[in-house]
Amino acid sequence: MRALRVALAALLAARAAAAQQTPPADTARAGVAAPAAAAPAPDTAAATRAPAGATGTEPGWQLLVGHSYSSARALTQPATFTLEQERGQPLYSVFDAAALLRGALADRAWLEMGLRARGGSARPPGERAYGAMVRAFGELDPVLVAAGYEYLADGHFLVQQPAATFEVTALGGAPGLGTWVSPALHLRWRPWLGVSWGKGVRPYLRAAGEWVGGRVEAGVETTGWLVDGTAVGFVQGDFSVRLVGGLFATASGEAGRAPPTFEAEGRFGVGLGLRLGPT
Amino acid sequence: MTRKDERGHRWTDVGVQRAVIRIVRRLSPGFARRVITLRTRLHTDLGWDDWYVLRVVKPIRRTLHESLEDRVVLALKTVGDLVNYVWNRMEDA
Repeated sequence: MRALRVALAALLAARAAAAQQTPPADTARAGVAAPAAAAPAPDTAAATRAPAGATGTEPGWQLLVGHSYSSARALTQPATFTLEQERGQPLYSVFDAAALLRGALADRAWLEMGLRARGGSARPPGERAYGAMVRAFGELDPVLVAAGYEYLADGHFLVQQPAATFEVTALGGAPGLGTWVSPALHLRWRPWLGVSWGKGVRPYLRAAGEWVGGRVEAGVETTGWLVDGTAVGFVQGDFSVRLVGGLFATASGEAGRAPPTFEAEGRFGVGLGLRLGPT
Repeated sequence: MTRKDERGHRWTDVGVQRAVIRIVRRLSPGFARRVITLRTRLHTDLGWDDWYVLRVVKPIRRTLHESLEDRVVLALKTVGDLVNYVWNRMEDA
């Protein structure tokens, strides 16, 4: 008999220390005044600024930690470590996390290197997944392009999927694309069109959307691949209510077929979460 | 106080502020003009995601003749940060 799923979930998320959260070191080197000096009255603004030409030094590397490195949205989903229990069985653990290191390549290009893992004692080795990737971005307003190389493997390392990827997204231009629809409606979305070239050519389309309303946040990300002429999809989402500070009550789930195995899977968990850093 | 952009045009600090705020307002058409000030947070208040913030690069290059570094722009938090970054890239006149 299936059991009761008791979930006590602890969520780890640290979105980057340096540039995203507290960028004084990075931005100072890049010639940006500290946040406290970022919004002075117009007549005093200049007095707080660095000397002219105090720019040109590339910012340092930035570390991001989240649910997955697959997208910016996924990185704002907390990395999860969940304890689950079935009657008469010991506690199982499930974790899903990724880390990303971001650094500059040139004025209009940068590099990301990432690691991800989905595993824990509650997942059979065949359902676990590990990955690593390197990805270069180029901003060509009105679009952003990304070229990368990703390695994915299951827990047995029987299914291994190295693949080169190429992705493109529009920076903006449609209502809610990359920005809140309006001050009253905090809803935004972003599409990515890509192609993966490993064991065959697999085009895919990824779309992410998120909504924030006071203490409540919700997000969903769905990806559809064309695998050997067949369309397969995977969707993951989260719903969180801020309790106090960075503490959330969170429900998250996922369903569908995801690489590297593209076998059907699904998961749902409820628990408490902690998020550090900006959203 | 005045500084020069990459083409040698002179700008006052107030002029740079006004130009940058005007650009940010154009990129946030759903927001009232008075909502956007130096203290406005790009990600939290305007909801700009990591990639949308890069949309300021081209209009600033066209209007203020300054080439911004994407990696720095990605790390900016407020409109004031952006004003400061542009101003600090300029040279003393």
